[in-house]
Amino acid sequence: MHWWQIRKRRADLERELDSDLALEEEEQRERGVSADEARYAARRAFGNTTLVREQTQDAWGTAPFERLVHDIRFALRQLGRSRGFTLTSILILALGIGAVTAVFSLINTALLRMLPVHDPEHLVEFKSTNPDFPVNDAFSMHAFKAFQGQTQTLAGVLAFRNLHNIDIEVDSEGGLAEGQLVSGSYFSVLGVNAILGRTILPSDETEPGQNPVAVIGYDYWRTRFALDPAVLGKRILINNAPFTVIGVTAPEFYGLQPGKRIAVSIPLTMVASVNPGFAAAGGPADALKAAFRNWLYVFGRLQSGVSIVKATSRLEPVYAQTTRDAAASLAGSPIDSPAVRATFIRSRLQLQPGSQGLAILREQFSRPLLIVLAVVALLLLITCANVASLLLSRANAREREFSVRLALGAGKRRLFTQLFTESILLAIAGGILGVALAWWGSRSLLALMAHGRTPVSLSVQVDLTVLGFALAVSLLTAVVFGTIPAWRAAAVDPQHGLAQNSRTVAGVHSRLGKSLVVLQIAISLVLLVGAGLFTRTLANLRDFYPGFNPESVLLFSIDPTLIGNRDVVPLYEQILNRVRQIPGVRSASLSVHEPLSTNVSTTTVRVQGAALRQGEDLSSVAIELIGPDYFTTLQIPLLRGREFFWQDREGAPKVAIVNETTARHYFGDADPIGRSLSIPGYRGDSSWLRIVGVARDIKVHDVREPATLMLYVPMFQAPEGGSTFEVRTSVDPATIENAALDAVKSIDPRLPLFNVRTLAGQRDNSLVQQRLVASFSEFFGAIALLLTCIGLYGLMAYTVSRRTGEIGIRMALGAQRGRIARMILRETLLLVAVGLVLGLPAAGFAARLISGQLFGLKPADPVTFAAACAAMAAVAILASYLPARRAASVDPMHALRNE
Amino acid sequence: MAIQTQQRATLLQGTLDMLILRTLLYGPAHGHQIGKHIQRTTNDFLQMQHGSLYPALHRLERRGWVTSKWETAPDRNREFKYYRLTEKGKKQLTVEESQWKQMAEAVARVLWPAATEEG
Repeated sequence: MHWWQIRKRRADLERELDSDLALEEEEQRERGVSADEARYAARRAFGNTTLVREQTQDAWGTAPFERLVHDIRFALRQLGRSRGFTLTSILILALGIGAVTAVFSLINTALLRMLPVHDPEHLVEFKSTNPDFPVNDAFSMHAFKAFQGQTQTLAGVLAFRNLHNIDIEVDSEGGLAEGQLVSGSYFSVLGVNAILGRTILPSDETEPGQNPVAVIGYDYWRTRFALDPAVLGKRILINNAPFTVIGVTAPEFYGLQPGKRIAVSIPLTMVASVNPGFAAAGGPADALKAAFRNWLYVFGRLQSGVSIVKATSRLEPVYAQTTRDAAASLAGSPIDSPAVRATFIRSRLQLQPGSQGLAILREQFSRPLLIVLAVVALLLLITCANVASLLLSRANAREREFSVRLALGAGKRRLFTQLFTESILLAIAGGILGVALAWWGSRSLLALMAHGRTPVSLSVQVDLTVLGFALAVSLLTAVVFGTIPAWRAAAVDPQHGLAQNSRTVAGVHSRLGKSLVVLQIAISLVLLVGAGLFTRTLANLRDFYPGFNPESVLLFSIDPTLIGNRDVVPLYEQILNRVRQIPGVRSASLSVHEPLSTNVSTTTVRVQGAALRQGEDLSSVAIELIGPDYFTTLQIPLLRGREFFWQDREGAPKVAIVNETTARHYFGDADPIGRSLSIPGYRGDSSWLRIVGVARDIKVHDVREPATLMLYVPMFQAPEGGSTFEVRTSVDPATIENAALDAVKSIDPRLPLFNVRTLAGQRDNSLVQQRLVASFSEFFGAIALLLTCIGLYGLMAYTVSRRTGEIGIRMALGAQRGRIARMILRETLLLVAVGLVLGLPAAGFAARLISGQLFGLKPADPVTFAAACAAMAAVAILASYLPARRAASVDPMHALRNE
Repeated sequence: MAIQTQQRATLLQGTLDMLILRTLLYGPAHGHQIGKHIQRTTNDFLQMQHGSLYPALHRLERRGWVTSKWETAPDRNREFKYYRLTEKGKKQLTVEESQWKQMAEAVARVLWPAATEEG
C-alpha cells in the first residue's frame, strides 16, 4: 500500500470517528444533558479514541510499516532537537569508520589482494635458501627447464625477468617504461588472456633472438596508443630492437609484482636484443645457457591435490641436480672457487604461496602499514568509547522524559524501539559519511604513498568487508549504549523514577561514563607517544648526515645505450664539460647509481696476496662506477690518497678507491694504498686494480642502514650504459635545471634523459615511508586528542549539570567560587591521572613493538613521553575549563530552589 | 479487574463480527447506529464501548464482507459512513450463524444434558 493511500484512509477514519462522536453527543444533548456533560458522556461511551484509531489501523494490516515510519520521524525530530549532539556523534562515527576502512583498503590492496589470475591459490613462488644468502629468488634457465619436466607435481611453470627502464620507441618517439621477459608458458600458466590479439605462447620461444613479438598491457595501450585496435601488427623498437605487437592483456592484469605496471612483455629468448650486456649471448656466461646464471623468477601451478610440502619434497632432488650442474659449469670461469661452488651446492629449494605476487612490495610496505592499521584500530576504539559516552550522557539527561512517557502509558517495547531507531539512524548517518570519507581517504592515502619517485600503481577499491566490519562495530556501539538507558528506565517504576529524579541510575551511568573517558585517555596517550616517537624519528633521519652533503645538488640520468650509442665515454666527457660551464655550477660528476639509490651492484672481491679468513672472499661488496671529481662534487671526505682524475681512463693503469669499512675489512689497520684487488665476479674481468684512495663511509642504500663494504671504480675505465650526473651548484639547483638539460640536448637531442631532481628531494623521497607513518600518527594522534577532549568535556559538563544542587548547597554553606572551580578541575585531573597511569605501560609496550622503526632515540624516549603526558593534561584542563567556570557561576539560591 | 476485561474481550472476539453482520442484514447503517442497535437488542447486556466497533468494521471491510460509502443521513442532513452487507458477507453470516448454533447446542448439552435429550 502506498503512503498516500494510507494518508487518505487515515483522514477517512478521522472523519468517520468525528461524525459518529458528534452524533452521540447530539443524542445526549437531545436527551436533555448539558453541553459539557454531553461531550464527556459521548467520549465515555466511545472509549479511548487513540486506541481505537491504532487498533483500526492495525486492522488495515499496514501498522508495522506505519509504526516504523512513525518511529523514524520521531527519532529524526528528537535528533534534530539536539543538533550539537547529533552532528558530533555522526562526525565521530564517520571519522572512525572512514579512517579504518580507507587504511585497511589500502593495506588490503598492497598486501592481501590476490592476483587477477586464474585460480591463484594453486600458484607457488620458487625461492632458494642457503647459509650465505638466506633468501634468493632467482633461478637459472637450466633449473627452470628442469622444473618444467616435473608434470607429475606441477601443472605448469613460468619464468620471467623484469626489464627496468626500457626505451620503447613508437613512430620514432621514445619513452621509458617497465617491461618484462617472459617464458612461453607465462600467460597460459597464469590463465591470463589477451583482450586483443593473443598472448605470448610456447611457440614464441624457439631460437634465441628469433621471436621479436611483444604483448602490451592495457594501461600502456590506453596511454600510448589511445586504445587503437590497429596496434596489432605494429612495429615498435624496444631498446632499439624491432618488435611486433601481437596482443593486449586484460586491464586488471599488471604482472606478478604488485605496484609495478608492466607495459610490455617479450619472450625470454629475446633477452640479448634488449640487454646484450646482461645476456652475454654465446659466451660462457650466456644467460640462456649457463647453469650458474641465476636470473629468472619462477612461479609454478601445483597439480590439484599436491600440497606445497609434498611439491617441495618432490622438486628438491631435481633442484639439487641443477645446483650440482651449476657448480660444475663454473669450471674455467673467473669466479670459480670452492667457496662459490659450495654456495651453489648448499642451496635448498623453498616454495611459497604465490597468490600475492612477488613479495617485494609487500615486505617494503607491510610494516609501516601494519603500524598505521594498529593506530587506526585504536582510533576506532576511541571513537566507539566516545560515541558511547555521548549517548550515555544524552540518555541520562532524558531519563525524566522516559519516566514521563512510561507514566503516560507508553509501552516499554515502544520506548525501546524508539531509542533503538535513534541509535540506528545515528549509526547509519555516520556510516554513510564514513563511506564517503573512506572513498576519498583511500585515494589520498595512495597519492601520499605514491609521492615517492617510483609511481606505485595499485587499483585501490574500498574494501567492503572492512567497511561492513567498521559499520557493524559502530552500529553495535550505538545500539548497545543507546538502548542501555531504555532497559534501565524500563526496569524502574515510572512513579519511582519521577519522584526520585533517578539519582541512583545516574550514579551507575556516570561510573560507566568515567570508565569510558579513562579508557579514551589511556588509548590517546598510546597514540600520542607513537606520534611523538615517529615525528622525532623523522626529524632525526632528516638531520642525519649521510656522509655527503645532499644540499644544492642537481641530479639527472641519461642512457645513451637505449638509442644504440655504446661508446659512452666521449659523450659523457662532453656533457660534463658543457655542464661545468653553466654559471652557478661548481663541479659535476657522474655515477652508475644515483646517491641514496636502493639499486646497487654487489660482487665478491679478491685481494692480492692477502690471506683471508674463512668466508671473507664471499663478503659482498657494493660497486660504484664513478666519474672524476665525484668526491669533490658530493663533498665526501677522502681519508687517504686521491680521487679519480680524467686521466684514469681506458689504457691507463687500473685503479680503485675503497671506503673505510672495506679498508678495515680486508687490510685491518694496514695502509691499503698501493695494494691491489680484483672483481672477477662483476664482469668476468679478473685484472688487478690498484687502490689509490680511501673515502669516508656513506650510507648508500638508505640513511638508516649500517655502512656497507664499498668499492669505487673509474667509470671511464669500465664504461657502462646509463649514468646519473651529479651537479653541485652555488645557487638553488632547481634554477639551473633548464640550462643543464639544454646542455645535454645540444649534444644529442635524441638522448633519453630522465629523472631530473635534486639530491635533497631524493633524500626526502627516501624517507617517504617514515614521513607517511609520522604524518599518519600525528594526524591520528591529534584526532585522538580532540575526541578525548570532547569526551572529557561532555562528561564534566554533564557532571556539573547534575550536581548543580550540590554545588548550590556547598556555596550556601560558604564555599568560595574558586574552590568550586578547583573541585571540578581536581576531578578532571584525577580522571586524567588514572588514564595516564593505565596508558603509560601500554604506551611503553607499544613503543617497544615499534622500536625497529625508530631512529636516533630509544623506545622509552623521556622527551616524547613527557610531552605526550603534558599534552594530555593540557587538553584535560582545557576540556574542564568551561564546566568548571559554569560550576563556579552557579547561583546558590537558584540552584537550591530548583532542587 | 484485568482478568475480567480479558474474558469479555475473548467472548466478543468471535461474536462481534457476527453481530455486526446480523445488524446489517436489516439494511445499511453507520457505526453509531450499529453500536446502538447491538446494545439495544441485547438489552444493554453487552456493555461495549462504541469505539471497539471500528476495528471490527474495518476488518470486515478488508475481508470484503461489507462495503462502505459516505451517504447523507435522512434525519441529520449530514454525511455518515454507511456500511452495507455484501453477498459474500451474507454467506459468511450463514456460516457463522450455523457455527454459533452448533456451539450453543454443544454448550447447552454439556450444561443441561437431561433437558436436551428429552427435547
